[in-house]
Amino acid sequence: MTIKRITFLQELLGLFGLQERVHLAWISSAEAQKFVEVVTAFTEKIKSLGPNPLPAYRDAPRAALAAAAH
Amino acid sequence: MKEQIKSWLEQGTVDVFLGYREVDHHPIPWCFTQEAIEEVDDLVVSPARYSLEKIATHMAAEDPDIRIGMLARDCNNRALNVLYVWNQLRPEQVVTVEANCCPSPLKEHADCSYLEPGTVGAYKKAVGIDNHLRLEAVEAYGPEEGRNRWMYEFQKCIKCYGCRNICPVCFCRECSLDHDDLVGTGPLLPDIPIFHLVRAVHMAGRCIDCGLCEDACPMDIPLRLLYQKVNRIAMDLFDYRTGTSGDQPPFSILGDRVTLEPKPIQPVTGAEA
Repeated sequence: MTIKRITFLQELLGLFGLQERVHLAWISSAEAQKFVEVVTAFTEKIKSLGPNPLPAYRDAPRAALAAAAH
Repeated sequence: MKEQIKSWLEQGTVDVFLGYREVDHHPIPWCFTQEAIEEVDDLVVSPARYSLEKIATHMAAEDPDIRIGMLARDCNNRALNVLYVWNQLRPEQVVTVEANCCPSPLKEHADCSYLEPGTVGAYKKAVGIDNHLRLEAVEAYGPEEGRNRWMYEFQKCIKCYGCRNICPVCFCRECSLDHDDLVGTGPLLPDIPIFHLVRAVHMAGRCIDCGLCEDACPMDIPLRLLYQKVNRIAMDLFDYRTGTSGDQPPFSILGDRVTLEPKPIQPVTGAEA
């Protein structure tokens, strides 16, 4: 069920190009090494993607947005 | 049709009949009863439509044993199925009279206010989302463009709650959109896109694509496309076909209790299996 919930979320966020910012992985408590790898890789990915672009839309005046869309 | 409805009311097959009555040349939603049976003469079937099943839900909440007759198009029937699934109405308490519906290649004449798409201006086409596009076309926008276009649409929202209030399948007593911790209710402008996405997630497995929300929206936000998207996901991931039957389990993926049957997982992109 979890994977479907997460896939649901990813698909929905896909409309806004944000699907890569959600990640799901199964890691057992015995897999410390894997935990480190997954978290490090995801942290780097998020860093390379930069800050969440959505707050800018909330604050930006509409005209600026319209210009950006052209 | 009028004779049949009259006889239903007279014989007590139904306690009330929900339809439209012409008042001063305007068809308005009306509750016909045995006490005022002459009003049935003014019953009209016209392009005007309203979520009559929502009125039925409110009535059943007050009086669970009430028997309700209803004028129903295809969209009303799909909504009724969803309401049966969620125990808001019981199939045995509802009788419907079928009314003409949306046009199709086989049926050119139709009675539905959604028939004539409003014209979409050039500006909206350029920077927003044309409400009459197909979902595939909207999905095909790139990440950046899709985001710009959707956020342009959401920014117009004046948080009138019209989409929720008209929605035939919105029946929750407590609405997340009224919840301060979730979406921020006080200020005039809604929290975007959370406001719309919360509603979208709740429409998965519920929205029957009647388009009343989009009809009601004063800002012309392409809500139908958004809800088509979540229902497409519900179908792809869970094989859940909203509104097709009153016998399926309710679609519930939030919270701890899950009522859906497990289904094999389809290959997905972006998630680690």
